[in-house]
Amino acid sequence: MDKTKKLELLTELFELEEGDLQPETVLNDLPEWDSMAKLSLIVLLDDECGKTLKNDQIKTFKTIQDIMDYME
Amino acid sequence: MSFFNFDNIKISAISSAVPTQIVKSTDFNDIFGEDFVKKFISSTCIKEYRVTHEYQTAADLGYVAAEDILYHCSIAREEIGAIVFASCSNDYREPATACVLHKRLGLNKECAAYDLNLGCSAFVYAITMVASMLQCSDIDKALLIAGDTPSKLTSKADKAVAMLFGDSGSAVLLEKVQHQTKINAILRSDGEGYRAIIAPAGGYRNLNATTENVQAADGNIRNLYNICMKGTDVFSFSITDEPLAIKDFLQKTNTRAEDYDCFAMHQANMFIIKHIAAKLKIPMEKVPICLDRYGNTSAGSIPLALSDAYGLTNDDIKIKTLMCGFGVGLSWGVLAAELNVKNIYPVIETDEYFAEGVISSLDEL
Repeated sequence: MDKTKKLELLTELFELEEGDLQPETVLNDLPEWDSMAKLSLIVLLDDECGKTLKNDQIKTFKTIQDIMDYME
Repeated sequence: MSFFNFDNIKISAISSAVPTQIVKSTDFNDIFGEDFVKKFISSTCIKEYRVTHEYQTAADLGYVAAEDILYHCSIAREEIGAIVFASCSNDYREPATACVLHKRLGLNKECAAYDLNLGCSAFVYAITMVASMLQCSDIDKALLIAGDTPSKLTSKADKAVAMLFGDSGSAVLLEKVQHQTKINAILRSDGEGYRAIIAPAGGYRNLNATTENVQAADGNIRNLYNICMKGTDVFSFSITDEPLAIKDFLQKTNTRAEDYDCFAMHQANMFIIKHIAAKLKIPMEKVPICLDRYGNTSAGSIPLALSDAYGLTNDDIKIKTLMCGFGVGLSWGVLAAELNVKNIYPVIETDEYFAEGVISSLDEL
C-alpha cells in the first residue's frame, strides 16, 4: 500500500478533510484521537492489512507516520 | 481442537428474564458529556439496559426463567437430573449457586448441581458441558441457568463500562432424545488475556483489598472490586479470534455460513457484531440484536437475544442456529444447534428475589 493510500484511509478514519492530516501530525494534538478512533484503527488494520493491533502497540504511536509505518 | 459432537441431545426450551429498572445511556450525559455519550450510542448501539435491585441476583432472574420452562413444558421436577449455573455473578462465595437454585426449584436429590464460572462465553461452554454430561450418564433432562449482573460491579464513573453492561438471566432445558439431532461446538481460551476484563478484588487473591475509588491510568475512576476492561484489547481479540473460530467450526462441520438461519452472537456491542458479521459475510438480518435495549449482559446475552427475537412467535419452525460467545477469560466458543421457535419464550420482566437468601445477620444462621 502506498503512502497516499495510507494517508487517505487515515484521513477517512478521523473523518477529516483531504490535506488535514500529515505524516508528522502528532496524535495527541488531534481531538479526534479518542477511544472510538482507536477501535476504528483496529478494524482498519484488520481489514486493510490483515494485522491484529493491540493496546500496547497503539500506545507506541506518537504520530500519523508511526501508524503508517505499522501499516506496512 | 476442542471440537464436540452430540447426536442425541436437544435444546428443548429457552426462557429469559430481565429486571424492570431501566438505565439510559443519556443518563450519563452530565458525567461523560453529551458528545461522548452520542458517540458511544452510535458505535455500540446501546441506548439503555436493565439493572437488578440491591438484593436481586442473576440466579433470581434465571430462577424465574426456569419456572417458566417447567410450567410451559409440563415437566415434573423429579425428571431433572442436573442443574448448572453458568455465571460470574454468584449469590455467595460458597456454596455453589446451583445448589441454592436446586432447593428453590424443588429438585430431586438425585440431581447433579454445580456452577460454571465464565462470563460472555458461558452459554456456549455450559451447553457443551451439560450436553456432555447427558451423553455419558442416564440423565434425560437437565436445566442450565445462565446469567450475569455486571451492572453491580461497574463504576458509574468509568467510561469504558458504565453504559455497556446490563443484567439478565436465562434458563435452558436440554434433553436426551431418541432421534438424531446434532449439536456441535468448538471451545477455546487464551489465559494470556486474563487481565483484559477483570474484577481484581472480591476473590481469594487479595482478601483485604481496599474499596477506595481512585483515578486509574486510563483516567477512569474505579476501585479494585469494579470490572476493569481494556476495551481496545478486548475489541481486537473479538474481531480476530472469534471469526477465526467460526471459520474453523464451519470447516470442521463441513457447513457454510449460508447454511444457518440465525447467528445468535454474544451482544458485546454493535461495532464488534457488525465487524464479525462482515468478515464472515453474514447478513445482519440473520443476527438478532437486543443490546440496544438490554446492553451487554455477559452470560445471558445469547439466550436473551433469542428470547427477544423469537419469543413472541409461536410458529412451529426449526431454525439452524449458530451461537457465538466470546469475552472475559479470555474465553470463546461456537455452538450450532437446531432450535424450534415455538420453544423460545418471550422475555419476562421481574423484580422477584430470594428474600430468604439475604443473610444480613449471623443470628439467622
